[in-house]
Amino acid sequence: MIKDVAASGNAGILSFIQALNINRIVSSIARTFSRFRTIAKPFSRFSTEGKIGVLGILCIILMAVFAPVITIYPPQKITGDSLEPPGPGHILGTDELGMDIWSQICYGARMSLTIGLAVAFLSGFGGGAVGILAGYMGGHIDQGLMRVIDVTMALPSFPLLIVISAFLGPSILNVILILVLFSWAKPARIARSQTLSLKKNNYIIAARNYGAKPFYLLWRHIFPEVMPVLLVLVIGISSHAIIAEAGLAFLGLGDPTSKSWGMMLNHATGFRSIYFTPYWQWWLLPPLFMLIFLLLCLAFISRDMERILDPKLKIKKGF
Amino acid sequence: MVKDRNSFIFRLLSTLFVILAINFFLPRMMPGDPFSTTSADEVGEEIIVMTEEQRLYYMNYYGLDRPLYEQFLVYMKNLMTGDLGRSIYYKMPVSDVIMLHLPWTVLIVVGATVISTISGVVLGTLSAKNRKKGSDRIMMTGMIAFAEIPSFLLGLILLLVFSVYLRLFPLAGAVTPFADYNGPAEQAWDILYHAFLPVATLSLSQLTGVYLLTRNTLITVTTKDYIRTARAKGLGEKTVWIRHALRNALLPVVTRTGFMIGIMMGGVVLVESVFSYPGIGMTLRSAVVGRDYPLIQGILLVIAVSILICNMLVDKIYGKLDPRVVI
Repeated sequence: MIKDVAASGNAGILSFIQALNINRIVSSIARTFSRFRTIAKPFSRFSTEGKIGVLGILCIILMAVFAPVITIYPPQKITGDSLEPPGPGHILGTDELGMDIWSQICYGARMSLTIGLAVAFLSGFGGGAVGILAGYMGGHIDQGLMRVIDVTMALPSFPLLIVISAFLGPSILNVILILVLFSWAKPARIARSQTLSLKKNNYIIAARNYGAKPFYLLWRHIFPEVMPVLLVLVIGISSHAIIAEAGLAFLGLGDPTSKSWGMMLNHATGFRSIYFTPYWQWWLLPPLFMLIFLLLCLAFISRDMERILDPKLKIKKGF
Repeated sequence: MVKDRNSFIFRLLSTLFVILAINFFLPRMMPGDPFSTTSADEVGEEIIVMTEEQRLYYMNYYGLDRPLYEQFLVYMKNLMTGDLGRSIYYKMPVSDVIMLHLPWTVLIVVGATVISTISGVVLGTLSAKNRKKGSDRIMMTGMIAFAEIPSFLLGLILLLVFSVYLRLFPLAGAVTPFADYNGPAEQAWDILYHAFLPVATLSLSQLTGVYLLTRNTLITVTTKDYIRTARAKGLGEKTVWIRHALRNALLPVVTRTGFMIGIMMGGVVLVESVFSYPGIGMTLRSAVVGRDYPLIQGILLVIAVSILICNMLVDKIYGKLDPRVVI
């Protein structure tokens, strides 16, 4: 489930480009604009799906940030009868303990977004930094790192995730750490291969001959070049992290004190005879819908980012 | 892929070793021990708390009080002889527990692999043939959006729609409990009936990958010279597409199928949980909850080894199928 997206993603990107036939436009844009500007103002070039994605994510972020404002009841308090259907008091009804579901959805958005962002940035930029350093230094360090990356990528991530999170105990921090442990390898690998090809460029050699220190070279020349690719990866990783968190929580391995969407699914499906009663309609459907919506939004954005930032990304990713 | 044979084998072996090490050390560092939960199985059942003496006896009986490295050596030795230890919860050899549940997992994984590969290839071919037409655009956008839904959420949706709302399929399990069958045909039907939704979930989640791969390779292949030659020879469209184009486009699909099994072995834990399907995924979940170390180790090992074997097989088969790849 988790390793899957690399392959299908690659194929997807390529065919998306073919289908929309925008190769030509994008490459001309990429030539005229510098890379940082393309990051700053990509919205106008987003496709319709991409715009929907950005708007959707914005809505979810607003929901998470203003959760206390837009909800009446606290998510962890018993504020009504158990299993009330949606009505004027509780917009989406209540769960078996009488907690408001709309509040749980809003506060649950915080959980998914935090995990997604934290894992993506830690592993995206941490792994990226490791990859850049290894690629720049070369030699035994690089070889050793490549072995570690190979093994990390070959590990069956989800079964191991289950066992490790059971061992470390369920808490948000642990879930984040475990997910980082399993997702740093891809950005590291891509950053390394990019660095390897970049450092042979004449302008970098020239800069070094002028006495540029390694740190200056890495920071001023190599990092900005690798950055766009990392950004695209970060989105992909964040959606993996959200899926993995939801999956773990669904299995009952999430933080029991938090109300994430995965936890809601876990509670709802764990409720006896949920499928024989109408309760699933307001207890199970909202978190399910929100998770799918969030993942689709992220996917749309990531596809558009890939398309806009670097149409040749497919080749670089195709290891 | 086959270019660097030694590094490939090194990678397989080191991956296996890392898995063995994680497999062994992690469960032992989990908080709690298996004997604190042994007695609280069912709600309402009287909870028997073990005395310290009894606990120590069991720790000794299962060898859990010896130093870690000693346990590891014993573990490795036993592995070599095919002995995975005894499950603490089921009170029988781990290999027996796994053998009891593995067939169900194999059934749905193999079923899903076959179905998603075949339908992916067919749809991909159709899409490539109708390229630049509206139907291809629609099919592709739909498939891509579809691919982003993780398999267990997809499973939940299918379960809600087909089992809960339409009541077409069973809610849980792999067979009808306490059923009396009139002959094997009826039993087979019952098993297929229960396996339908899990298989559908897994196949749908893998379908897009195969579809896109087939479509894209076909599109690349059809620009090759030998396709033009085949057409120039006056061969029918059907022959050109199936014998000349598709045959060459299928190579990457073979590779993909092998990796797909690996991916599915990972995702199957969640999908089995959704459908309460009694495969090794469900068993892994209950083993983690019950802290059944030997069983967790065994199941992880089975999953990991099957993934590695698939990767190795793909490597071998690819060399056979494509003579251009030198082994």
